[in-house]
Amino acid sequence: MRNTLKNLPRHIYASIFRVGWPADERASIKAMVSSITLHIHAPKIRPGSLGFRASWALGLLSVVALGLLLLTGIYLMFYYIPHPDVAYRTMKDIGYVVPLGRLTRDLHRWAAHGMVITVTLHMLRVFLVGGHKPPREANWVVGVLLWVMTLALSFTGYLLPWDQLAFWAITVGSNMIAAVPWIGPGARELLLGDRIVGESALLRFYVLHCVAIPAVMFALVGFHLFRVRKDGGLIVSEHELPHARHADDGPKLIPAWPHLVYREVAVGLFATALLLAISVAAHAPLEPEADPTRTPNPAKAPWYFLGVQELAHYHAFWGGVFVPAAFVLGLMALPYLDREVRAPGRYFPRERWLACTLFVTLLSFFAAVTVVGTLFRGPGWAFTFWPY
Amino acid sequence: MKHYHHPAWLHALFALSALAIVALVGLAIADEAGRPTKLEQRIVPALGLVERCEQCHATDSHPGDWLTHHPVERFGCTPCHGGQGLGITKEEAHEAALDWERPLFSPLEREAACGRCHGGDEVPGAPNLSRGRHAFRERGCSGCHEVPGEPEPDLAPDLDGLAAKLDPAWVRAWLTDPAVLLPSHAMPRFALTADQIEVLVAFLFTRPAPSLPAVPEDSGDADRGKQAIARRRCATCHVLEGRGGVFAPSLDQAGVKIQKPWFFAYLQNVHALRPRSRMPGFTLPAGEAADMVAYAAEQLVPDTPEMPWSKFDTPVQSERAPEGHALFVKLGCRGCHRVEGLPPLKRTSVPLGNMGDKRAFDLPHQNFIDHVPDVPTWIHFKLWEPRGFDLPEAKPSSMPSYAHLGPDETFALGIAVASLHAAPLPSAYVRPARTASQALPAGETGRLVERFRCLACHRVLGSGGDISRVPLDGEGARTKPEWVASFLKEPLTLRMNQAERMPVLGIEEVDARRLAGWIDVTLGDDRIPPAPPPTEAERDAGAALYGARGCPQCHVVAGQGTMMKAPVLDGAGARLRFDYVLAMLRDGPAVVPARRHPDARLPEAEARAISAWVMSLPGRVEHAPAPQ
Repeated sequence: MRNTLKNLPRHIYASIFRVGWPADERASIKAMVSSITLHIHAPKIRPGSLGFRASWALGLLSVVALGLLLLTGIYLMFYYIPHPDVAYRTMKDIGYVVPLGRLTRDLHRWAAHGMVITVTLHMLRVFLVGGHKPPREANWVVGVLLWVMTLALSFTGYLLPWDQLAFWAITVGSNMIAAVPWIGPGARELLLGDRIVGESALLRFYVLHCVAIPAVMFALVGFHLFRVRKDGGLIVSEHELPHARHADDGPKLIPAWPHLVYREVAVGLFATALLLAISVAAHAPLEPEADPTRTPNPAKAPWYFLGVQELAHYHAFWGGVFVPAAFVLGLMALPYLDREVRAPGRYFPRERWLACTLFVTLLSFFAAVTVVGTLFRGPGWAFTFWPY
Repeated sequence: MKHYHHPAWLHALFALSALAIVALVGLAIADEAGRPTKLEQRIVPALGLVERCEQCHATDSHPGDWLTHHPVERFGCTPCHGGQGLGITKEEAHEAALDWERPLFSPLEREAACGRCHGGDEVPGAPNLSRGRHAFRERGCSGCHEVPGEPEPDLAPDLDGLAAKLDPAWVRAWLTDPAVLLPSHAMPRFALTADQIEVLVAFLFTRPAPSLPAVPEDSGDADRGKQAIARRRCATCHVLEGRGGVFAPSLDQAGVKIQKPWFFAYLQNVHALRPRSRMPGFTLPAGEAADMVAYAAEQLVPDTPEMPWSKFDTPVQSERAPEGHALFVKLGCRGCHRVEGLPPLKRTSVPLGNMGDKRAFDLPHQNFIDHVPDVPTWIHFKLWEPRGFDLPEAKPSSMPSYAHLGPDETFALGIAVASLHAAPLPSAYVRPARTASQALPAGETGRLVERFRCLACHRVLGSGGDISRVPLDGEGARTKPEWVASFLKEPLTLRMNQAERMPVLGIEEVDARRLAGWIDVTLGDDRIPPAPPPTEAERDAGAALYGARGCPQCHVVAGQGTMMKAPVLDGAGARLRFDYVLAMLRDGPAVVPARRHPDARLPEAEARAISAWVMSLPGRVEHAPAPQ
């Protein structure tokens, strides 16, 4: 009996962690395989994939942001009430009264914006090394879907504060949906549950933001990570990366524990610290309560849609609907059209100069119109320098 | 395990990041530890307010007696003070932050906030708001700006027949800069080009003008004219030789500005030439009119040998009249001036009904001044220099400059405009303007009130002007109709040290009686109860009490008395009603309005005695001398 009690902590630990702290390579592989969280990685990886330049940790940063968003989002859900009468006031209370409420909300906001950026850059990075080509086509398509869902999550969350910023951004955003021919007005009404942004729109956006999209998102993220492993891990060029130059000195493959896991935890901690620092330094905006009778001029969509709004300003259908839709569909079709694997794992290789140039140009174009729409558009959407 | 070397930077990244997380979360917790944990919260459901001002502020130390009229339970704090009621720390509650755009109100905004509930021109405790609302109407703002409930202004002269009245050169000079001609001009200064002025003149001087008979040669005498003008008290409203009232255009240059036949005809029948003028309907005999015209030609001329407009003396380019017509409409001249045959007023500028909902940074501010603290100040600058806020690429603002009003009035206008909100308040909070009842009586009396423009100066039943300090409401309860009739015919002052202002309108005996009868019957005051008539014993006791209660400190009786501020009481019995004097002495001016009388509140017996004695005083023939 006495021994049972004495050994209780050890037994509990052993019941959870079958392997214990790995002491050798064999144990570390066993640890990777036996753990549900760790076996998302292969037990052994190519040394090249550890280099920072191999991935810039962009996928990892996106996952870390998603995790932080989940944690902070659940905390915010304890206090937030999705009804126009009280939504704004609960936002104020989250800022002023809820313990660490402001920090939580700031983290949620900045992590969401950060995720939009890291997911986009992740996609760019994968394209530049040819990571979308066979055998990774399906995972590329899932990745594009995840990018779209990241934007959708951010867009639906944008309405919830129910301030002027939220209300008018979603009004503008949903009006862009209405520019889709034939189904546009109906689609907008389906999304809003009304002809205007109101009570039912807030409820729908809340459910989409907190339940529907995250559920699909987490399933797709699991699939995405699983396929990264099954499609052969991170794509790396064995000829370029520093580890590979000394390939004779080391093994072809090294155990994921602790090399990869330790790096991932370190980068995750760094990203968390960075977001915390941003949140302490800058607070998430909360403008006056939504007022359908007071239209700000200019009324702007969330910043990541301002490129589309800028294009829609030139032509509602061609700029606002056709170009973005063609871009997303084109992205998904890309790996099935551009199939020849050339110089995998090398950034912007000479062999793929045309594709890479086109892709970078396209993304730069979207970045440029987004910057113009964000910074250089004033009242009446007139071009203006600072202040807009 | 041979390959377990992590690079040093990775360890550093791990350790520093972990430390930073602990430090930052600690910082956030420490920051929150300073926040209050107990909330003083006030909820005003009718206004949808949740306020935490009383976390720090005690309402019983609020200065003034504002909270007795505006209990905090009903009004909260932020409707008057602005700020963020939900905030807990001073910074959150008081200041503008990234997430709050309405900091505590500036004093100007605070006064404008009164106008959120209070309608009308007279808002108690808000002198600048009251002044601004009055000015809003007086300056014709609603001629260009739509404001709900604000009628089309009716102030400026009709411009029909201008060719018979003015010289085109004078009009050109006037449109270039009215201040050069008249320092106290009412019309704002439009920034017009010479070409624009030319086409406007072409338009105005090609309108049909009445043909008026010339003034008979040698028929007027300037000295007699000057006396007539003094006797009629024109200076109550007009400036003459540098002195006089500001309620009507200055006449200092009338001798050269106004063409003689027009002036002559106008004085003989004011409303025939200007049916909508606010001036009482004088109908002077031809001789008196000719005297006044002669006086104007001799005395009401500029000092300088050269007329300031002589350089503008060029022929009217009649063929450009259609251009002038279009410009007249486009510039919004129609907002203040009427011209026959023009379409109904279409306001040319932005509506102002929601200016109170805006914040200073909602309004354009380039080119002029970087930081305008609040909307009233923005409007003040805008009135001062209307093009100062023009956006770089927009066409220049066509609003005229109101710099001549002076900063007090432009700030007041800013406050008045900033009190306009689009969203309605719960009706229980709205204090509408006292609705002006139909003050004009029907029939012949109504025509007299209209003809002599009584309401241009006097307030009657909630409408009318404020040129006179004597509202006519309750006049029937204060004075006797016989005296009113005699006063209307010959308005002589009752206060020795006060200038006589009521114009001598030349009212006929029968008309004076009719008006006095209307005042007697209609304009009573039910706060003055009927009292039994005084007895002789009371009258005898009153003589001593009159001195004992200090009445001679102000009133003069039979030449005896000191300060001469108050009306002479000789003959008071013929003028005043016993009931009124009694009620005033007994109940005080809070109950019975008397313009400057001290709050006497004497016992009933004393009040009756003094009243009885005053009413018995005999009249004296001579009055205070008329001022020059």
